[in-house]
Amino acid sequence: MKTRKSGDGFSVQRFLERWGVVVAFALLFAASCWNQGFDFLNAENIRALLNSNAPVGILAVGMTLVIISAGIDLSVGSMVVLSAAVGLTAVNWLIGKEWSEASAVWIGVGTTLLVGLAAGSLNGALVVVGRIAPFIATLGGLAAYRSMALAIAEAGEIRSQSDALFRKFGREGIPLAWEVPGVEGAESTFRGLLNSGGRPLTLPYSIIAFFVVAMIAQWFLSRSRFGRHLIAVGANETAARYAGISVEWVRFRVYAVMGLLAGVAGLLQASRMNSVSTSGLGVAAELDAIAAVVIGGTSLRGGFGRVWGTVLGVLILGMITNMLTISGVSPYWQGAVKGAVIVLAVLVQRGSRA
Amino acid sequence: MPSPPEVAPKLGRTVGFRAVQTESRATSADGDAGGAGSGGGDISRPSVSLEARAVTVEYPGVRALDGVTMAFRAGEIHAVVGENGAGKSTLMKVLSGSVRPTRGAVHLDGRPVDFGQPTDALRAGIAMVHQELNLVPTLDVAENVMLGREPLARGGVAVDRAAQRRRAGELLASLGAALDLSREAGLLSVAEAQFVEIAKCLASDARVLIFDEPTAVLGEQEASRLLARMRALRDEGRAVVFISHHLEEVVAVADRVSVLRDGALVQEFVRGDGALRDASGAAVDEHALAAAMVGRALGSIYPEKGIARDAQPILELVGFGAEGRSAGIDLSVRAGEIVGLAGLVGAGRTETAEAILGLRRSTGTVLVNGHARAFRGAKDAMRAGVAYVSEDRKGRGLHVSLSSIANMTLPSLDRHARFGGARIDKAGERAVTRRWIDSLAIRCARPAAPISSLSGGNQQKFALARWLETQPRVLVIDEPTRGVDVGAKAEIYRIIADLAAKSLACVVISSELPELIGLAHRVVVMREGRLVGEIDREGLAAADCEERIVRMASGLGDMKERTA
Repeated sequence: MKTRKSGDGFSVQRFLERWGVVVAFALLFAASCWNQGFDFLNAENIRALLNSNAPVGILAVGMTLVIISAGIDLSVGSMVVLSAAVGLTAVNWLIGKEWSEASAVWIGVGTTLLVGLAAGSLNGALVVVGRIAPFIATLGGLAAYRSMALAIAEAGEIRSQSDALFRKFGREGIPLAWEVPGVEGAESTFRGLLNSGGRPLTLPYSIIAFFVVAMIAQWFLSRSRFGRHLIAVGANETAARYAGISVEWVRFRVYAVMGLLAGVAGLLQASRMNSVSTSGLGVAAELDAIAAVVIGGTSLRGGFGRVWGTVLGVLILGMITNMLTISGVSPYWQGAVKGAVIVLAVLVQRGSRA
Repeated sequence: MPSPPEVAPKLGRTVGFRAVQTESRATSADGDAGGAGSGGGDISRPSVSLEARAVTVEYPGVRALDGVTMAFRAGEIHAVVGENGAGKSTLMKVLSGSVRPTRGAVHLDGRPVDFGQPTDALRAGIAMVHQELNLVPTLDVAENVMLGREPLARGGVAVDRAAQRRRAGELLASLGAALDLSREAGLLSVAEAQFVEIAKCLASDARVLIFDEPTAVLGEQEASRLLARMRALRDEGRAVVFISHHLEEVVAVADRVSVLRDGALVQEFVRGDGALRDASGAAVDEHALAAAMVGRALGSIYPEKGIARDAQPILELVGFGAEGRSAGIDLSVRAGEIVGLAGLVGAGRTETAEAILGLRRSTGTVLVNGHARAFRGAKDAMRAGVAYVSEDRKGRGLHVSLSSIANMTLPSLDRHARFGGARIDKAGERAVTRRWIDSLAIRCARPAAPISSLSGGNQQKFALARWLETQPRVLVIDEPTRGVDVGAKAEIYRIIADLAAKSLACVVISSELPELIGLAHRVVVMREGRLVGEIDREGLAAADCEERIVRMASGLGDMKERTA
């Protein structure tokens, strides 16, 4: 018996469908190097690129899982601002109650994550129990969570009362250089990656969080039972139900995880600014996250996707912004370029599944 | 790809005497007013002839069609048969414009045509009645029939809804299908939807109608109605192309049968004096067709019936039913027993099976091993040893986009889960898949490739194997051989019989009566959601059992004699 293996033989179309995101990443990387010379390859520059994109990257990783389940979460940006606003309010309130900074901040961190988890769980419950289409349920969240954050701060900014500790999460990291004691009273020197001022370069916690989250998510997607169930539900919900998978439980969990990750992103953002602007934080984050997922080659129809593609998608978007800014393109025009890239990504990768 | 210049038919490439004869006739089709056509069509109407001339289709690594020459003539029902993968679907795709031949060409009325896409073929009067129904579920019957050909009111903007309904009504009436024109298509039964689909083709004034497995989803009665309509369409002077795995239907209805094997035309049969005949003029039956398809003679495709032991009932239904679809069903199935569940499409068999698992709301009681159970879903039922293999392989039974391995282990994935599910033991999965590939003789070269690359029969074996891996004690198999070719059918029957021999309690739901009669120890019949009769082993051995089942299923009663 012959089976039709349409996958045999090489074709540019199929190659791009699968590896287009890698090609695009490599091209952009090369273009950036060419454009900016070794300034681009500078460790500090790479760090800045990763660091500024880490929060949206974390959202995009969660969004990948949601989209693989054939869902969508439009409320991520609002969950970011709500979790950050509630978390920071908790910190300030506790400090106002004469708690120690450390306990106030750590309780605030926990609160931020819990609020994210709760908001995501509510989305999940609306989708699963309420049987509301994910687009609609999370559209509600997009409006409602933002509005709650605005209400808490009366549409203003919440400034952190924690002087030192709270800002550490978003600004500090692990030093990538170590001190070599100088000889006989001379100044000590550093070995490793140094910044332009000769001080040790740090690997920010944000970047670590982004990559750890991405690796865990990719592992769960390709190696765990949850990942397999997620793909099965996204590919064909009915068939998944007939195979004995609890479709509801799978879908609920993916929205809850999305909420938790929004909490992580909120924490990093709030900590970086040491404040939360309730009207500005996380606005349109859902679009950036979805764009990164699409560029990364995950099918919006669900049932197929990859976290590593999304990571490249995030970096591609980051590099484009970076390049455009350096080339002096007006920020008003940058959206148009990004939009074109997103559409192009879909065109190249559509083929059989996108 | 430019269309190849007119290719002179290479007669030497066609196998079989009749095909050559067809060729010579077809080229003079326009002058063939004498009407020696064996189909008996109305020759006074404009005749159409659609031909594939030396058509070869190559996919990367595979030659799906190899120099096939075939002519489809007005006023003739031309059946194309072959095993899965023999090239039937590819040929139909070539004829209907969705695949371009690598070499060779399609000719219409003697002139070469190049269909870039299905709409081109449709415009030329060639319509395909798809295996997958393509109705828009939210539009009503009339709108679906006239989709894309809506009559416009004066002004040319608004749809003339009255004319639309009138025309749709006429078309459906010509098919003998009295349907409510304002019913939403999503609410139609499969058989009704099929008629809408055909009416849609007629609306486009199709002169060539290609039926791809039209009876696969129909019960016996609906199927025979459909075949009658196909005859009528032929008598109107249309060319009817018919693909079916049901060889009895082919023998009953076809004027000409072409047999494909491995992409090549291997034999043609033509009707003469009321019977299909081969090149030597000898009358042939479905067994001869099957032999031509597989290239060898087939023995009985049904295994010896094992002895149903007088064991304890394992599955018992008491006053059971699927809410709104069936009720009051009492049935018990013992270990080692194969119970056939017969009935027309829409009798509520599938719904009842799904209700047992808790995939639908149910009424009444299910007992497994004497304990009352109310399952909340397939997983819950699986834990109690009850498994269900769905009739809808593509939509429910399997995930066609996922690999054979992922499909194989999906219900039993817990077994391969390590660290609370954080890691799946992939080597274990591969080993299990390999084991089932060996024990069920599944032809699957690359288990990691999407399962959609397998033939229907091999997919069905996986659909079975994934549940056997859960070690069920009760197996409910819905339409075990739908869309499966003859060779694989026999293997699937063998598998089911072996399972029963190993004390599994099996319920087989099927619309193919020979299958139930050949396989089951006893057959129960459902009609309109109720159990209406049972035929025991002796009854199944009797010659009239098929008739008895049909009468029970259609409510004609057992007592009415066959004088009618």
